[in-house]
Amino acid sequence: MNPRAGWVMSLIAGTLLAQGCAAPAPRQDLLMPTEAQMKLRSFQTRTFDVKNRQLAMRAVITALQDLGFIIERANEPLGLVTAARFAEPNYYDVLGVTVTVRPEGEGRMMIRANAIYNNKPIEDPKPYQNFFATLERSLFITKE
Amino acid sequence: MPTCLLLCGPLAGCVTHTEPSELFQLTAESQQHRAMQTRLFETRDDVELLSASAAVLQDLGFQVEESVREVGFLRATKERSAREYGQDIGRFFVFLLSLGKLYMPVDLHQKIETSLIARPINPEATRHEVRIVFYRVIWKGDGQADRQYIPPGQQKMEMLRDPGLYQQFFAKLSKAVFLEAFTL
Repeated sequence: MNPRAGWVMSLIAGTLLAQGCAAPAPRQDLLMPTEAQMKLRSFQTRTFDVKNRQLAMRAVITALQDLGFIIERANEPLGLVTAARFAEPNYYDVLGVTVTVRPEGEGRMMIRANAIYNNKPIEDPKPYQNFFATLERSLFITKE
Repeated sequence: MPTCLLLCGPLAGCVTHTEPSELFQLTAESQQHRAMQTRLFETRDDVELLSASAAVLQDLGFQVEESVREVGFLRATKERSAREYGQDIGRFFVFLLSLGKLYMPVDLHQKIETSLIARPINPEATRHEVRIVFYRVIWKGDGQADRQYIPPGQQKMEMLRDPGLYQQFFAKLSKAVFLEAFTL
């Protein structure tokens, strides 16, 4: 075999080998919610008896401010509030939260909170429970 | 180098991490901060209160970056030099004491940010509350520790909790809306 033919052979063999390494095709259930996701959503969400969405949004903002968060963005038509705070006394860690307020049926509002700690989602129910406890108090005062 | 280690050691030892669940809880200081950051105004005119707040921030040199009238929200920033003589004097003495080995970085530039919310606090909306919070990000200049060069740009962030700053803002706002500002 001349050296040129040898090169061609090895090129073909290399290409065939590389084909074998291709990533498997994405499965059909790639976008299906997992059980962990459903659980996460359930403790990130609460429904409150509030008629007015603006009132609910203002209560969310007040609760976040009371907790020491800095309001970064708010969008009234979409019912969206984004806020962040430093994990004091340490100023290098940042806790961010996005809250959405959406009407759910007559006179009820669904409030969902997503929190991240240093860009990592918080999947522990405790922080969310604490947040909703403060929000409940703030909603009660706002409704008075 | 030993001087550097001596200086850096205590700093590294102080880094504590707070659990996210604790950060979602009201603390003893929450109420104090709320009192410092909040004033009440006897007015029905929420739009006037918000636009006067924006005007006061402009007077104080801030650029308004975001505003949402429906929820009475304003966010503004300003950038300023962060040079302080005290730090330069400190740097000089550290330089002398370390026999020219440690050239500490000093604060160079800062960005002061503020977030404000104005909201009615009774159903008739005859009384409004304005709450503002200030914080800042500081960038440090360059330095040198022994033969190791410290590049510029290291960041430091902090909440501004000087009551004078908040009093100054509310005094100006009170004048702008021709109303007396009540504390909580």
